[in-house]
Amino acid sequence: MKKTRKLLLVIERDLRRFIQFKFLIILRTIWFAAQVAFFGLIASRMVVPELADIYFEFYVAGVVIMMLYSASVFIGYDIFEEAEHGVFEYLLSLPVSRKELVLGRSIGGGIRSFILVGPIIAITLFIIGLANPLNLLVALSALFLFAFGVSGMSITIAVTLKSGDRFDIFMGALSAFIIRLSTTMYPQAFVQDANQAYAAFSQFNPVTYASDLFRWGTGIERYLTMSPMPLAPIIGIVIFFFIFTFVGVTFYEKRLEGGGWQ
Amino acid sequence: MKAILHLIEHDFRNFFRYKWWLAGLISMNLADLLIMAVVYNQMLSPEIAEQIKSYFSFFAPGVTVVGLFASAFMIGREINMEVRRQIHHYMLSLPITRLELALGRLLAGGLRGMMYMTPLLLTTFLIIGFPSLPQLFIILGALFLLATGISGVSIATAVSITSFEKFITARGLIYYVLFFCSSIFYPLSLIQTLGQEGIMPQPLVVLAELNPLSNGADLIRAFLLGNPAFTFDMIRNLVVFSAIFVTAATIAYMKIIERK
Repeated sequence: MKKTRKLLLVIERDLRRFIQFKFLIILRTIWFAAQVAFFGLIASRMVVPELADIYFEFYVAGVVIMMLYSASVFIGYDIFEEAEHGVFEYLLSLPVSRKELVLGRSIGGGIRSFILVGPIIAITLFIIGLANPLNLLVALSALFLFAFGVSGMSITIAVTLKSGDRFDIFMGALSAFIIRLSTTMYPQAFVQDANQAYAAFSQFNPVTYASDLFRWGTGIERYLTMSPMPLAPIIGIVIFFFIFTFVGVTFYEKRLEGGGWQ
Repeated sequence: MKAILHLIEHDFRNFFRYKWWLAGLISMNLADLLIMAVVYNQMLSPEIAEQIKSYFSFFAPGVTVVGLFASAFMIGREINMEVRRQIHHYMLSLPITRLELALGRLLAGGLRGMMYMTPLLLTTFLIIGFPSLPQLFIILGALFLLATGISGVSIATAVSITSFEKFITARGLIYYVLFFCSSIFYPLSLIQTLGQEGIMPQPLVVLAELNPLSNGADLIRAFLLGNPAFTFDMIRNLVVFSAIFVTAATIAYMKIIERK
């Protein structure tokens, strides 16, 4: 119980900090509006007829996942700011174990990205509609794990690199490629037609799993090769979550000690 | 002139300090071109495919302009930081007139954009084909006007908004509106069609037509792909855009740095 309380305190701290980033929230909202109102709308007129009638909804669902991913990654930048200002040493001196600290931050990062994306999901559901509430519930649960996993990945990379510059470039490049080599913007069938190597990467990309699950949850299933219960993406997301939240936490527990932040 | 050259040198030295940021921008531009454009190539409707031939070729000039825009806009971030940390007092103490100071920063912003854009433009030439010599000069001249104009927008925004968060938000708004409401990602004709159908509000259609990023990308396409056709309106729009924002940024910069 005591451990849970400490964990909750770490989560609460991250949630409180997030409210301070109101400009980030405004910026992400503008980005979402621009993506939907311009790119989604115009690109749906550019694509092949069999995709044209559904592409707008398909793209909007993909934008939600892009936003969830980028919001979950943000916790890593937060950690660097703390390291730069010496807050990290203070956190390490608290009567909270390293495990609780990283696990709490990972969960806090996931929850706050959901707080940011929550209203956007509501708008998206208004645009797309909702076919099956149960499917959506399953998809959202998996997306929670996805957000925790991405936050855990961001924290793991941040404490591994211990350099703000290297983290910035690494995450920038990773985000650029991981998003584009996924089905957030286009169906897997077209990625397959474009390039086999891209398709192979896209098929096992957690961002693809998250996008496909969200579309399955909202009922846009036409371009997904999914069985009625999408087990493969759910298992993929659970593995991703476990790797970066638990194995990553244990492995990098020791990396938090000492200096070396650049 | 020598003072302006010193300022340009100063800003170029600063530019190379952002090597991580530049590497991130390059990877983003490359991912857009080598992955996104390649996949969209497979998704084009027959009508659009007939109009633009290949999305990869269509998008290459677009990504060149995106790179130019992002790198030319960076000068604003530095000037905003200088104003917030009052480094501009040091700038004012230099034996350089206010006008030289403003023009030097503007030109430096534009030239940095040109420098970053050059490898992207060369890649575009390698993908689509090389223009004739007069066409090359027109492209470079037009892109320089575009880069200087963007540098002007960036400086005018940076000195008008002293809070960093507000500057970042304003920058985001300018980025997204100019990027997405343009012909960088899709032909202008699609936006015009949406306007005629009443789906896209008419002011946004006009913005897309006058958008300097649309004009820059379409000018390169006109010479390399033959579609859309080259018109002098493209050059005129870029000259007007550049003249307005160079003047606005010069006046704003000169006034703000002297404010107590």
